[in-house]
Amino acid sequence: MVRVYLAFTTNFFPWLTIIVVFPIATGFFIFFLPHRGNKVTRGYTIYICVLELLLTTYAFCYHFELDDPLIQLAEDYKWIDFFGFYWRLGVDGLSLGPILLTGFITTLATLAAWPVTRNSRLFYFLMLAMYSGQIGSFASRDLLLFFIMWEFELIPVYLLLSAWGGKKRLYSATKFILYTAGGSVFLLIGVLGIGLYGSNEPTLNLEILANRSYPVALEILFYIGFLIAFAVKSPIIPLHTWLPDTHGEAHYSTCMLLAGILLKMGAYGLVRINMELLPHAHSLFSPWLIIVGTMQIIYAALTSPGQRNLKKRIAYSSVSHMGFIIIGIGSITDTGLSGAILQIISHGFISAALFFLAGTSYDRIRHGYLDEMGGLAIPIPKIFTLFSILSMASLALPGMSGFVAELIVFFGIITSQKSFLIAKILIPFVMAIGMILTPIYSLSMLRQMFYGYKLFNGVNSYFFDSGPRELFVLISILLPVLGIGIYPDLVLSLSVDKVEAILSNFFIENFHE
Amino acid sequence: MEHTYQYSWIIPFVPLPVPMLIGVGLLLFPTATKNLRRIWAFPSIFLLSIVMIFSVDLSIQQINRSSIYQYIWSWTINNYFSFEFGHFIDPLTSIMSILITTVGILVLFYSDNYMSHDQGYLRFFAYMSFFNTSMLGLVTSSNLIQIYIFWELVGMCSYLLIGFWFTRPSAASACQKAFVTNRVGDFGLLLGILGIYWTTGSFEFRDLFEIFNNLIYNKEVHFLFVTLCAFLLFGGAVAKSAQFPLHVWLPDAMEGPTPISALIHAATMVAAGIFLVARLLPLFIAIPYIMNLISLIGIITVLLGATLALAQKDIKKGLAYSTMSQLGYMMLALGMGSYRAALFHLITHAYSKALLFLGSGSIIHSMEALVGYAPDKSQNMALMGGLRKHVPITKTAFLLGTLSLCGIPPLACFWSKDEILNDSWLYSPIFAIIASFTAGLTAFYMFRIYLLTFEGYLNVRFQNYSGKKGNSFYSISLWGKEEQKSIKKSFPLVALLKMNNNERERTSFFSKKTSRMDTHVTKKPFLTIFPFGPTKTFFYPHESDNTMLFSMLILVLFPLFVGAIGIPFNQEGNNLDILSKLLTPSINLLHPNSNHFFDWYEFLPNATFSVTITFFGIFIAAFLYKPFYSSFQNWNGLNLFTKRVNKSQRVLRDKIINLLYDWSYNRAYIDAFYALFLTQWIRGLAQLTHLFDRRVIDGITNGVGITSFFFGEGLKYVAGSRISFYLLVYLFYVLIFFFIGVTPIIIQLI
Repeated sequence: MVRVYLAFTTNFFPWLTIIVVFPIATGFFIFFLPHRGNKVTRGYTIYICVLELLLTTYAFCYHFELDDPLIQLAEDYKWIDFFGFYWRLGVDGLSLGPILLTGFITTLATLAAWPVTRNSRLFYFLMLAMYSGQIGSFASRDLLLFFIMWEFELIPVYLLLSAWGGKKRLYSATKFILYTAGGSVFLLIGVLGIGLYGSNEPTLNLEILANRSYPVALEILFYIGFLIAFAVKSPIIPLHTWLPDTHGEAHYSTCMLLAGILLKMGAYGLVRINMELLPHAHSLFSPWLIIVGTMQIIYAALTSPGQRNLKKRIAYSSVSHMGFIIIGIGSITDTGLSGAILQIISHGFISAALFFLAGTSYDRIRHGYLDEMGGLAIPIPKIFTLFSILSMASLALPGMSGFVAELIVFFGIITSQKSFLIAKILIPFVMAIGMILTPIYSLSMLRQMFYGYKLFNGVNSYFFDSGPRELFVLISILLPVLGIGIYPDLVLSLSVDKVEAILSNFFIENFHE
Repeated sequence: MEHTYQYSWIIPFVPLPVPMLIGVGLLLFPTATKNLRRIWAFPSIFLLSIVMIFSVDLSIQQINRSSIYQYIWSWTINNYFSFEFGHFIDPLTSIMSILITTVGILVLFYSDNYMSHDQGYLRFFAYMSFFNTSMLGLVTSSNLIQIYIFWELVGMCSYLLIGFWFTRPSAASACQKAFVTNRVGDFGLLLGILGIYWTTGSFEFRDLFEIFNNLIYNKEVHFLFVTLCAFLLFGGAVAKSAQFPLHVWLPDAMEGPTPISALIHAATMVAAGIFLVARLLPLFIAIPYIMNLISLIGIITVLLGATLALAQKDIKKGLAYSTMSQLGYMMLALGMGSYRAALFHLITHAYSKALLFLGSGSIIHSMEALVGYAPDKSQNMALMGGLRKHVPITKTAFLLGTLSLCGIPPLACFWSKDEILNDSWLYSPIFAIIASFTAGLTAFYMFRIYLLTFEGYLNVRFQNYSGKKGNSFYSISLWGKEEQKSIKKSFPLVALLKMNNNERERTSFFSKKTSRMDTHVTKKPFLTIFPFGPTKTFFYPHESDNTMLFSMLILVLFPLFVGAIGIPFNQEGNNLDILSKLLTPSINLLHPNSNHFFDWYEFLPNATFSVTITFFGIFIAAFLYKPFYSSFQNWNGLNLFTKRVNKSQRVLRDKIINLLYDWSYNRAYIDAFYALFLTQWIRGLAQLTHLFDRRVIDGITNGVGITSFFFGEGLKYVAGSRISFYLLVYLFYVLIFFFIGVTPIIIQLI
């Protein structure tokens, strides 16, 4: 009886639609809340966020079968009849992790945004709008819907950046919007090109598209278009320069969202569209992706020590770590792709926590530059402790999630059957040089901020150590980082079957040739 | 007794609750945790004792049955890759775990007193227990991935503990240096692991060795590649064990608290590299080039460490270079293939050096009361001297450690070092000569340290005569910041020195010195954690507290008796000693036939030779350092003596001494070389990429933005909504098109 009921609900209850629409729909009510300071607003927002997270978790716990690589919780409604635009949602092993990550990080980011007082209604509304947009783009099964959701969450980011940022916020907001809009042009071209190819009816359903094949030249063209769009977002060098500026200026809760989730959308798109839809072109491009990823690791890790601004340094470390994802995607092995997905999740946690820490310490000392800091370990020991732990996580200390992800990516490269012998030796070698460079910048960041001795004779010579709210945010990020590091199957088990399904495409391709 | 083995996986996890609880407690309930304070020391010592009993039990079983136990369970299950966790108990593991736990317990006990007045007492115990956890995990691990994991964790603990006094800028840079240098080694280790996995497809030691040797035997694998992999694996060991090119971090690591130096940077962690090479010896043995390289690196380190230790001022740095040199001996032994000698030396050296470090900690603790907390004062041997009278028990312990390390017969290091020297004669005469020469150097520098510290008179008192400091006496805060505050007026010690000059000062000194002291001490905020009551006088260094002395005295027993495990006792025709019994199944290259057939007739001349060299070293040390310090009145006598020596000879001698001093003081110019080339190079490169990133890549973007901006502005200006202008443009384009259309016709016509 119960089973029948469950089956009933799975089939007909639109879980995903509710999950996607809920934050923004409830977000509108923020404007109708009574004007009683921002306490009501933020309480309401956090309530919504937690509810949404619980809802997502509930839906995935009870209505999602882990050992099924197909799309689940699928919904398919015709929206605009005119050109066959469907509201198609669905979740599989690949998008499960990022959706949960989104819920987790956004909830914590709203909690982190507690001190924001200026125009807080709009701020929290935008956070909720972003929540919807991000989940929507991870859950959409329609190419055009994906594009719309992708664009949809740019607007809140732009507004958050331009209204609540630092001194140079307008410059960086403009840069951000121009870069991403420029990328989106290519995305749109790609979407329309794929959708309109070969038939009179536009086909935008990802499932149908996944089984289609194109002429090689056209496929490569599509691939390049999508690659540029996702390369801006990921970012992949040389399209990364918006990222340090944006992260350097944004409020730290925005940074958490940007680094934790938004960057992952690029990597997700690479897997979802470039790997799944265009496997042939992907196997052509994969060596280049590996090379670019390797260069990116080294390049960003080398640029990072040159930064004076704390947030920019962390931003470059993000760029460097995204290189592992690109290499994992380029390796076309189960291992490598699993590593990339694990790195998506793990880096989401770690970078969000680091930006939060950077922001909170900035709130206390009011210096953004590393060489003006120093000796902070005595006044704020808790932040020091957590900063050390998370820097260690960022430099891939074993026992933390970053290590497992990077190790698996390494194995992906080693076991890759595509690349040549010399490449197999050289690329891990260069990647491992990045492993030496990472502690140089992250530990020197720690040293410049916390170590040493400095007398604070200013007006605000007394700092508050992190309070319970900040500790809560940090510890709730730290726990999954440790958990994944100790037992990586937690995340790997989500995507195992999907990864196999994606890669089976490639082997079939190879088989046919 | 199989069930003991079954539960042996618990070994690394036993000490784990302490750091977890302290960490969580310090983050969430700081005041409550801090109030408990010393209560935390008990569980950590207790848990470590459990591990010790357990590992002693295991090794007794190993001796009796010489069995190897391995158990594995999976960590990640995936269809394409699987990592496994396991524990692997063999003689090497049980020896190492006994070593770690015994030294660990004593050091924990010692540091309860050593750190008792430090603010970071709890942090210290948390780090220490975590270190014990990861070190035990390292020695019990059954595959390479696990080794790598614990390898990094051990490195992190070392990083945290070197930077324990984080307010000292020197500690801050030292810990970063240690971590980055170790990361260079880890880079090699990781790549080596990957390469080995690639060739053999396994991480488990036993499978790996089997497959690997088969591959080598059948020549199925590219020899150069395998050599490269083995070399990279060895790179990890080089960094961790402070061998020649990557040794730079070890002397700097002495910034950490002294118990750390005893446990981590002398006894256990630096031995991890030796452990790794010993563990992977079946793999390295298959490649003779790597074995030669190992012994070469070993011998270079032996000599370099010894020469660098010759003229160190800082007592801990001197001991650190000595550690490096002794680790070189072990590496040399491994490279020669004498597994047993290397492990024997590992054990004996660990105990002796731990004793020496604990002794130096006790000295530093006593000196801090006199000269302040800056490491360049409290650890400076130039300010010590004559401590024999003031700290007799420490002196005895230190002397025993020194004698043991020099290789004086009944003590532990004699047996092991002698074994290495014997084996080196069989391996290569050149190496043997260098090794024996270095044995003499060892005796020299160890006795130099001993004599400078304990003999003669207390040199702090004479610093006025040295003319360096003048009258001012620096007070140094605990956090290592030197305060240029002259407190000569109220400080009794300086008052004592100035007695002859100033009558009034003397009277004040005699009448109310303590009260003055009190006021002075209580005024200063940084002295709230002063490690002794303000009522104590500061004239002479005092012997440390009983807790510290107790653990030192227990540790004295080890150098006295631990040599016994390697000495064969003729009992009932069974000629094997305990160590050989443990290591019987292991490899021995040099004596393949006579498996440790111990020959006293062969042994005696060698032993006599090495002991002679040692005594020669001690004699030179005594000649050079003893008279100068023991007889301050004999200044003139000494001068006369030096004058009597032939002038040219003296110049030559001075030159040699200066050369040695410069060599040692500048750390053989290797640090400077690295700073000049590597660090500057990386910094320059970072600046360059930063500039490139900002100017070129970002510049292109901004340039595009600005151009489009101007283009838009221009367009706005042009498209100013005047009909006449549009008409003009229209006509212009029509004209152009007309010409384009007309030109071919004209050309055809022409």
